[in-house]
Amino acid sequence: MTPRIHLDAVGVTYPNGHMAIDCISATLTGGHICGLIGMNGSGKSTLFKCMMGFLTPTTGHVTINGGAVAQALKHNQVAYVPQADDIDWDFPIIVDDVVMMGRYAHMGPLRIPSAQDRAIVTEALDRVGMTAYRDRQIGALSGGQKKRVFVARALAQGAPIILLDEPFTGVDTTTESTLIDLFQTLRQSGHLIVVSTHNLGSIPAFCDTVMLINQRLLAYGETTETFTRANLEKAFGGMLRHHQIAPTTIHRDSDQRSVTVLTDDERAVVFYGDDDNWDLVETPNSD
Amino acid sequence: MGYAFMQRAFVSGLVIAVACAMMSCFLIVKGWSLMGDAIAHAVLPGIALAYWAQIPLAIGATLSGLVCASTIGYLSHHSRVKPDTLMGIVFSGMFALGLVLVTHLHSHVHLLHILFGNILGITTADFIETIAIASLCALVLLIKRRDLMALCFDPVHTATLGMANGRMQGMLLVILSLTIVSALKASGIILVIAMLIAPGAIGFLTTKTWDHMLAVAVSSAVLATGLGIVLSYHWDVATAPLIVLIQTGFFLLALFKTHR
Repeated sequence: MTPRIHLDAVGVTYPNGHMAIDCISATLTGGHICGLIGMNGSGKSTLFKCMMGFLTPTTGHVTINGGAVAQALKHNQVAYVPQADDIDWDFPIIVDDVVMMGRYAHMGPLRIPSAQDRAIVTEALDRVGMTAYRDRQIGALSGGQKKRVFVARALAQGAPIILLDEPFTGVDTTTESTLIDLFQTLRQSGHLIVVSTHNLGSIPAFCDTVMLINQRLLAYGETTETFTRANLEKAFGGMLRHHQIAPTTIHRDSDQRSVTVLTDDERAVVFYGDDDNWDLVETPNSD
Repeated sequence: MGYAFMQRAFVSGLVIAVACAMMSCFLIVKGWSLMGDAIAHAVLPGIALAYWAQIPLAIGATLSGLVCASTIGYLSHHSRVKPDTLMGIVFSGMFALGLVLVTHLHSHVHLLHILFGNILGITTADFIETIAIASLCALVLLIKRRDLMALCFDPVHTATLGMANGRMQGMLLVILSLTIVSALKASGIILVIAMLIAPGAIGFLTTKTWDHMLAVAVSSAVLATGLGIVLSYHWDVATAPLIVLIQTGFFLLALFKTHR
């Protein structure tokens, strides 16, 4: 069955009165990589927490595969890759044990790993290229390696829906391309991948759908139609660095097309065109 | 060592050391060290009331500890005040209430023994109760160590696995309260906190896996407790403070060894 997350007018207001998200409705289906885009504090993490049952919406409902979230979790439908900030990197735990945590749902109450669990952990580490580091304490890894470990945990878990919170923050470009290749392989096998990111430049390269939010849903749809300059400016307001290179600087003739570079310090997104007709420019991924 | 009271002190001391050391590992990684201190103080009104109502002190103490933990949890969710502030207010308030109750009810609860413990003077009934509660706590922590570790490490992940975070957290609090209750007769309210922090801190500093941390914590606590009981008898000094001093020494040793 194709995995599916359905958001029905989902809203969350925290007990202190802060409204994090409001009335978000959308349906996400397997075989897609969806980019969840919004600035800090736009409610991306809150929406994620609703999708994985860590938060219950104060209004509206989340359903996964047509049923309650709790039910989907019991059937091991959702895996989650946390933001680096949410992890205590001094925790006395090695890479192997973190990935093994992905197998807990497949083990008995004492969580004693079987030979199959060990084989799956080894394979997951291999897929993200972390086999050589399996005995390292997690604090002794680079930013990219840390992220790979948690992606390996999600792979070992074997859930058809994978949610990733800011997977490219603090990550080297090799890791970024490894992960993007991996996500594309998973998409082809029918997984639903949801990636929250403010790394705008890499989105068109691998997300086939995008969802822009700022407390409310601003836009959701195919990347080619939805990932537009207008929508991005709506989502980020004045929070992005915005460089416009005027037509007269780049053209000798009366061509009115200009270049717009939008970035928030990660990989930039570049548009080229005039007021009515814009093209997204593929930018090479390089440091 | 041939004396019955010494043997009882030894056995109960070691069992308490094991339970406290295991608990301390969870408190350290969950950032709950102050919570241990809070609950240790907050059991006092429960003990006084249980004595007055003629029910087992352990029941009163556990309920009292849970009231403290849930009050702190509720208030920190529903106010702007930071959790450590709330903890300080709630536990000192409950401790004060306990002191008032103990003096007002004229209970025969020996205040000094509750505050500082008296492991060499432990009675047979206390001995059995201590052993039973402490071994139960240690056993549950041993069996559930992987789930509870996962909860401390990444609660969002355990939630996506469909594990009951709320129930596990509640279980951890109940075991924390019970561990404190079991250790009261031996180490007292003031010093139990040392037994609930130092072993885990030593394990945390010297190991890189969870099972090793537990093992180091337990063995350092057992060693400190054994040494403390024997030496306090020969030197004629208070037992619980000596145990804590030895543990503090181990901690400093671990700190300097690993710091360089």
